[in-house]
Amino acid sequence: MSIINYASREIQFKIVYYGPALCGKTTNLAYIHQRINPENRGDLVSLATAADRTLFFDFLPLNAVVIKGFVTKFQLYTVPGQVIYNATRQLVLRSVDGVIFVADSQWEKMEENVESFKNLEDNLAKQNISIDEIPYVLQYNKRDLENTAPVNYLEYVLNNRKRRVQSFEVVSSSGQNVFASLNAVSQILLHKFSKQSDVPKTAPAPVAIPVEPPVAQKQSAAV
Amino acid sequence: MNAIPCLTIEDVANLDGILSNFLNKAEAELTVVIDRGGNVISQFGDMTVMDVTIIAALAAGSFAATKELARRIGEVEFNALYHQGNGNHIFMNSVDDDTIMITVFGRRTTVGLVRFYSASTAQSVAALLKSLSNTGHGFSFDASDITATPIFAGQ
Repeated sequence: MSIINYASREIQFKIVYYGPALCGKTTNLAYIHQRINPENRGDLVSLATAADRTLFFDFLPLNAVVIKGFVTKFQLYTVPGQVIYNATRQLVLRSVDGVIFVADSQWEKMEENVESFKNLEDNLAKQNISIDEIPYVLQYNKRDLENTAPVNYLEYVLNNRKRRVQSFEVVSSSGQNVFASLNAVSQILLHKFSKQSDVPKTAPAPVAIPVEPPVAQKQSAAV
Repeated sequence: MNAIPCLTIEDVANLDGILSNFLNKAEAELTVVIDRGGNVISQFGDMTVMDVTIIAALAAGSFAATKELARRIGEVEFNALYHQGNGNHIFMNSVDDDTIMITVFGRRTTVGLVRFYSASTAQSVAALLKSLSNTGHGFSFDASDITATPIFAGQ
């Protein structure tokens, strides 16, 4: 958790995109970077291998005025999804405020999705953060592919907990629901720090304009 | 309700005083105090030449990544890191368990001078941040203060 600076009237939040290898975390950030007004964002920094696989992290800073009188800075990070980079994922998760878990909807990726979610739980626990307390949402990515598991199945596998979270059917390459999921986690974490700390029961209002193709934004579960 | 720890205007003025004094003595260009998660706590100096937010994220990553290297030689972590360029350089030193100080400097000064003054500056910054956590003042806001209107405009 960052410190509020009253002199510059700034608040910073760190949101981490987490998920198995090649699930579309970097594609999410690239789409947001491409579609958001350059005045409201910084450069997209990618520390990647020669083959464009994330080695350390991707980083995209966004600015917004979402709390009256304060500039709010959202710092978006991705983690490297490959199993061997767990130490790096732990580093990137340090001081995290919110998480977007990106699952790959393809049938053959289910085991990796479950392993990655368990890995997220474990790495958060090492920072004394419970998955049941941190604001997070689920993305079911690659819904445009043919061999995808039904959303009900993904819900059963990844969202079958005491606290069910919002989940989104996403196509990160075309941007479908990329902004919707970012808006959702932003609103949840902002409300966590408000005096009325209950998370809104209704679908949260957008923080960022979803500049997306005109497709129906399917939302399969509410908080 | 979760309160967010905050720096009051007085805290920021005190911190700026420490950092300004350091920059004058070390003849460096810019100094940034960040937490180990990459968030900027305070900054002072010429901020027009670079994106401080990105510098902070990368510096936190760099500092964290070398921790394992330090452990291989029997250290808990390296207290300081120095990246030497052709004209501009970065010196980073640990302030406390949660905080790092980054200094960017050029040809006007030397790494020795920056290193020398950064040690006492880090101690002063650590003391100030410790007193901050002891006072326990935090910030929270009404849910109604959170905007419901779209913020970012698409291109």
